[in-house]
Amino acid sequence: MPNSAAIQIDGLSKRFGKVQAVSDMSFDVGAGRVTGFLGPNGAGKSTTLRMLLGLIHADRGTGRIYGRRYEDLEHPSRQVGAVLENASFHPGRSGRNHLRVLAAAGEHAPERVTELLEQVGLTAAADRRVKGYSMGMRQRLAIAAALLGDPEVLILDEPTNGLDPPGIRWVRDLLRAEAARGRAVLVSSHLLSEVEQSVDDVVVIAKGVMRANGPIERVLGGGGAPVTRVRSGDAERLAGLLRDRQIAVDAPSDDLLLVHDTAPEAVGEVAAEHRVVLRELVAQTRSLEEAFFELTEQRGEESA
Amino acid sequence: MTPLLRAELIKLRTTRTFLALTAAAVGTSLLITVLVSILTEPTRDEVLTDVFTSDTSSLFIMILAVVGITGEWRHHTITSSLLAAPDRLRFLAAKTIAFAAAGLVLSVVISIAITIVGLLILTIRDLPTPDAGELIEQLARNAVVAALLGAFGVGLGALVRNQVVAVVGLLVIGFAVDPLVTSLLPEVGRFSPFSALPIGITDVPPEDAGLPSDIDVLSPGLALLAMFAWIGAAFAPAAALLIRRDLD
Repeated sequence: MPNSAAIQIDGLSKRFGKVQAVSDMSFDVGAGRVTGFLGPNGAGKSTTLRMLLGLIHADRGTGRIYGRRYEDLEHPSRQVGAVLENASFHPGRSGRNHLRVLAAAGEHAPERVTELLEQVGLTAAADRRVKGYSMGMRQRLAIAAALLGDPEVLILDEPTNGLDPPGIRWVRDLLRAEAARGRAVLVSSHLLSEVEQSVDDVVVIAKGVMRANGPIERVLGGGGAPVTRVRSGDAERLAGLLRDRQIAVDAPSDDLLLVHDTAPEAVGEVAAEHRVVLRELVAQTRSLEEAFFELTEQRGEESA
Repeated sequence: MTPLLRAELIKLRTTRTFLALTAAAVGTSLLITVLVSILTEPTRDEVLTDVFTSDTSSLFIMILAVVGITGEWRHHTITSSLLAAPDRLRFLAAKTIAFAAAGLVLSVVISIAITIVGLLILTIRDLPTPDAGELIEQLARNAVVAALLGAFGVGLGALVRNQVVAVVGLLVIGFAVDPLVTSLLPEVGRFSPFSALPIGITDVPPEDAGLPSDIDVLSPGLALLAMFAWIGAAFAPAAALLIRRDLD
């Protein structure tokens, strides 16, 4: 059956010695979308990306880009641009020469090097040796290298590492701009705040296992039931009234209730019926961070 | 293959190590030529091998090749190299050819320098000079050796991976182990890719090149074939390791 996904990861697994780094990882990344690949450090993100890029041999499963393994791509740098964590450069080579090497290997026009140095803001430092670059400058150079071939797919492993706030914003804008051009973007991060504003979909992993996968709105809600937060001076009586109706209620403090599986309107009706004065009545949306912790830490403990 | 080769040649030219070792190779070759031309009085029969075989490119290109391939791991640039060239065999082949070409060019540059300086000094001192044909043949043999050792160095470096171990190991083998083996076991030493085979290819009398006079050096053709065998023996396991290895 034809699959229009730009990236298809199907059952990838990898063990290093006694450590199962990645287990049966499967997800797709669509064109024109930014997909966040989220997980704590050591979750298996980099291993998964390196398997997709043919740098690590998978024990099982496949990673494909538009239906082909990375190793089988005819012009890899025109099809995939990758920034891997801790991008490394020869310290004695200038930024410009680093790009010249990659441009030669990918058969890209030499002018492209100058264009990209300008695009990433490294023109002034282009002829300096990389060993004098800050971490942020190295990251910009790595991004320039990934963009050399104007690729259809971008794979970025922690691309904002070492960048200052304007740099982080620049990366966010770049990801959105590339997706708007129809490119598929897969960006890994352990810092949720950095991807929350720029991704369409998320894949959450922990301990090498995928925990959730889908549009960010759905994963943000965790697929779980709504929670209504209620604040009242008569919280204890209201909690009893709700429990009488078989509604689950938590009481984190004397005047605060968290009402599960129930919309604010229904809670308000119960309160009005029994003349309970409310000071706050809101639908509580879980932040991505809360969903992330729940998906990773909590389940991690369960499986441990 | 051509784009990869071009990329490897740019890599090679754009580090200070390359410039420093190239300068050292040219400098030491010239120094030897100048000293021999000034301090000795070679006869017509001796002048070719005494003055015009001072090309040190073989040593330096081997070091350069080892530094070049091991540097990919030392600086973790192997990742970006293999992202650009995911066919690992082609990548290693391109690097091997690039260093062979670099050895050839380095040797030619040195040959031009020592020929100009050597002929100038010999002419000023009114000493015999070699025939042009003989001289060109000798310099061409030197260039072939430099190219082969450049290729051999890539294979060795890819096998060892650790830059310091590879460079120190190369120097220890070249300057200590190899002379020892060659003098104690000449029947084994005649197959050495570090001394006897290159000398066989250049067709210089063993004693003029510092080898024991009783060593039975292979003829240039056989020495060339044996050198190819050494390159294959280093390249094949290096390629197999590279293909199998995870880059994490």
